[in-house]
Order: sequence, then structure tokens, then C-alpha cells
Amino acid sequence: MSTAIQAIDLVRDFGEVKAVRGVSLQVEEAEIYGFLGPNGAGKSTTVRILVTLLPPTSGTGTVLGHDVVTERTTVRRLIGVALQEAGLDPKQTGRELLTLQGRLYGLRGQVLPAQVAEVTELVGLTDAIDRRIQTYSGGMKRRLDLASALLHRPRVLFLDEPTTGLDPLSRSLIWDRIRELRGSYGTTVFLTTQYLEEADELADRVAIIDEGRIVRQGTPAALKAEVGADVIDVAVDERETGAARVAIEEMQHGGELPKGELRGTESGYTLFVPDGPENLAVLIRGLDRAGVRFGAVSVSRPTLDDVFLAATGGRMAEKAERAAEEEERTPEPAGRGAQ
Amino acid sequence: MTAAAPTASAEPRTLAAPAGLLSDVTNITARSIRGILREPELFIFALIIPVFFFVVQLGALGDVAERAFNISSYAAFQLPISVLFAAASTSGGNALVLDITNGYWDKLSVTPVRRSALVVGTLFGEMFAVLGYSLVLIVFGWIIGVRFAGNELLGALGLLGLTLLFGIGFAAVSIAVALATGSIRATQSTFIIFFPLLFLTPSALQRELMTGWFETAVSLNPITYVVEASRRFLETGYVAVGEGSYAVAMTRGVLAATLFCAVTFTLTALAFRRRVRMG
Repeated sequence: MSTAIQAIDLVRDFGEVKAVRGVSLQVEEAEIYGFLGPNGAGKSTTVRILVTLLPPTSGTGTVLGHDVVTERTTVRRLIGVALQEAGLDPKQTGRELLTLQGRLYGLRGQVLPAQVAEVTELVGLTDAIDRRIQTYSGGMKRRLDLASALLHRPRVLFLDEPTTGLDPLSRSLIWDRIRELRGSYGTTVFLTTQYLEEADELADRVAIIDEGRIVRQGTPAALKAEVGADVIDVAVDERETGAARVAIEEMQHGGELPKGELRGTESGYTLFVPDGPENLAVLIRGLDRAGVRFGAVSVSRPTLDDVFLAATGGRMAEKAERAAEEEERTPEPAGRGAQ
Repeated sequence: MTAAAPTASAEPRTLAAPAGLLSDVTNITARSIRGILREPELFIFALIIPVFFFVVQLGALGDVAERAFNISSYAAFQLPISVLFAAASTSGGNALVLDITNGYWDKLSVTPVRRSALVVGTLFGEMFAVLGYSLVLIVFGWIIGVRFAGNELLGALGLLGLTLLFGIGFAAVSIAVALATGSIRATQSTFIIFFPLLFLTPSALQRELMTGWFETAVSLNPITYVVEASRRFLETGYVAVGEGSYAVAMTRGVLAATLFCAVTFTLTALAFRRRVRMG
């Protein structure tokens, strides 16, 4: 199996803002690779570099061995791209948009209408294809965008948050199509997402990106196994957080609880320990004894969010919220490229 | 143009092949024209000002001007001004800046299309719009009695040709601003250069009747010579002494329009390089 996408130490600055701070990754052919991270983590900037839209400040990227800066035209023929904002000309019909797109890829003769029909069918837009795009819903636009990315049968497909904001039905349709493509054409898929579930379900391998760096990389199963423990979440009243921490740490010191990782979250604490159910009982008894008032307690197998928490010290949703707040405070540095 | 095979053999699974510059430009132009035709309301807005100006100017000054300036048809004298006004009402930059802000420019940019074709195709689309506006106004003029000097068809073609040259130069300004700023508001406000360019000309009266700073400003404005050459295509019943012979006026007009285009195209090329470098 050969390498479809390679990035070596990609860096991209927008003035003072360091959007990507040294991303290295390798994606094999016919692999579905999930790029998971909260908003503002540097996912889109990395994609824009790999699809030749944005030159990196430093570092190199290649697609099927072709450099994304010096061999842009070759790379563009090999890849299909659906960007986060489905930029589509509202005045054209779906068919006109696809036909134009196909011609720009050099499709001609019988191949062009045949491909247009095939991808239209694939994304389930056959009934709407001759309507103007301005009449399409958000989900339909996203599906048309996906269709246009598939038209020339790209060997590598880049999808930047293909299902963000979509209803569950459209989402599962897009998931199915992505799996089919890989199955029938051996298409390599590089997919960014902020949905843990999406990365978990769809990706063969996942890279977790935070603040412009990849913090973990591997198969979802391996990443979760890396956490090496079950996850106990305990909700604690805000005034009791200090007391709760003291009580838990005492239990850990005294050997009652194993010395697993303890992390503060917005609602309380998360404890990574082996033998979750057994230790849950110990924890409850201990907190009770110390007189700490606590709320909901749960034990679960680790999710990718727990992997994220273990790697970065924060939950993805919290990070995303903070990023959104910061974005509101500071004007965006370099326009669309910084997303 | 016939290169479907070379990449296909090296990269067995993609259908993409080089499309060729001509094909790229043709396809983008066709898309621009389709967009223009689907917004007929813009067509009407673009014609309101020139028609209004023409009618008002004619109503207010027509009789006086014909007597004072020794012109047999003030309508013929004013028609080229209206046609040039209309040519300056194109919205090439607006279409492009919309593509840039809604992400379609990015989408097209990740295809193998030559990015220059995206700009050139838009300019060609604008030429189509200019042609449409001009034809409407020329027909309108014809109906109210404006006639071309000498061969009517050649006169009309001459006026159209010169107008197209000016119009594409004017459209290039807003395209340059669209590319450089990516801002809808900035692009729309390039319309204001229309005022000095078209009013610091012999728009209301001949240059030889002007005096002082105004005459100087008008003589320095290249569009003045485009206006003077345009009028030569029409039966105004008058030829100003200062405008020289037919051949001189035509040469000046074509040179001035070409110079104007050279300047605005250079701006567009610079803005284009900036946009492409930004990504």
C-alpha cells in the first residue's frame, strides 16, 4: 500500500496567530482518515494547505507523491474537495454547476453527462438537479458539493466537516456514500470533523488536533485503549470542588483508589481508573464519608472525547466554546484562510 | 485540447485530464453570461440612469444647445455619452466578489482551471452585458431619430467597438478591487470613479467652448477622446475644429481607450497576483 497524503511539519501563521504549528501525518491509499478537533484547532487551515488553496509558512505536503505547492495542477487533478462552506453559485442549476465543474476537470463527450448522472444519483439529488441552487436546502447544497467533488473520480477526497449542521438522515447518507466510495474505487478519504461519533464510526485512523498540533494519532480502538482505563464522571457542586479533590486525592494516597488520572471538568471531576464499576463504589463511599455533596455519578468505557481530555486537559465542547468566545473578542486575522 | 490520455495512463483511476486554456475561458464565460441573463433586473437598473440622463439632458438643453453650439442633432451628440454611461454600469466585480465571499471562487480554485481564466471569463461576460446595453440604447436612439454618419451599419459597429473597449476597461477596475479586497462594499463603491471619468469630458458641450481649469481637466482625461471619437460615428451636423480630422479623432479615441484598458488591466493583474498568492 502506498502513501496517499503526507504532511511533514506543516506550519501556517496568519501574522501573530499560529493556526497550524507543525502538523505531520501520513495517510495510506484507500484509508479513511479522520481529523478530529474542536473549532479553531487548525483543521480547516491544514486542509486548505493540502488542497493547494493556501501555501504553508513552512513544511511540506504531498498528495500521491506530488508537492502541494510546486505541483499544484497535478495535485488538483488527483483530488476532490468539498470545503466547509459549500460555495456554490446560486444562479446556476445543479446540473449546470456539475457540468461546468466536469469541463474544468477536462471531462468531455459521453463521459461528462454519464458522470453527472452517476454522482447526482449517488447523493440522491436526481429530482432536484435541474432546479436553481438558490432553491436548495442546506443539506441539499452539501450533497451537491459532495457530488461535484466526486465527478472526476478523484483518487483522494478531502471533506472539510462534511456533516456539520446536517440532520441525522443526511449525515448517515453521507457516511454511507463515503464508505461506498472507498469500497468501490479505493478512494482515500481525508475527513475533518468536530463530531466524535463521526470519527469513531467512519475513520480507520484518527488524528486528534488541538491548538494547531496533532496530540494523538491512531485507530479509534487503539486510542481508546491508550486511555487504559474506564472513565468515572462525578458531578460536584461548585462550592464543593476543593473538598472533593482533597477527598479523592486522599483516597488515592491511601490506596483505596488506584492512582489514575484526575481531571477537573466544568461539572465536576473525571477519573481514569481500571475496573470502573468496582472503584465507583469506593469513590461514592469515600465522598460520603468526607461529607462532600455530589450529584450524578457515572462510569463508562472511554470515548474519543476521553482521549481528547486525556491528551489536552479539556473536553472538546469546552474548547470549542472558548474558541468561539475568543473569536468574538478578536477580529479574525487573515480572512477566510484562518478558519 | 485533445489530451485525455497522458494523465489517465499515469493515474489510472481519475477521469480528470487537462482541459486547455481556451476551454477554461469558454466555460467560465458561458457561466458568467448565464448569470447575467438570470438577473434581468440588473439589466434594467443599468439602463435607467443612462436613459434618464439622456432624456433629461435632451429636454433641458436640446433646443438651446442646438442653437448655441450650432449642432443639428443634440440627441446624436448625447447618445454616445449615454452608451458609455451604460457601459460603465456593468457589475463584473460584483459577480466576482460574490464568488469570493460565498466560497465559490475557492471551489473553482481547487479544480485544475487556470485561475486567470476565472478573471478573463468574467471580463468576457461583462463584454456581453456592455454589448446588450449599447444595443438597447442605439435602438432607442434610432427610434427617436438619431442617425449614424455615412454607412449606418459601420457607424453602429464602430460605436459598439469603441464602447466595448471602454466598457471592458471600466469593468476591469471593479474586478481589480474585488480581487484585491474581497469586499462587497469596496467593490460596489468603485462605481464612483464613473463621475470624474465621464463628467470631466465634453459630455454636455464641445471642448472648444470650454475654458479655464475645466478645459484643462477635460483635456487630460483620456475618456474625452473616446467621447469625441464616438461622436464622429453619428450625424450631429457639426464637427468641432479642435477635434481634428476624422482619422485623427479616431486614432486618438482608440489610443485613449487602449491606454485606459492598459492601466486598468495592469491593476487587475496586480490584484490577481495578490489574490492568488494569498491562496
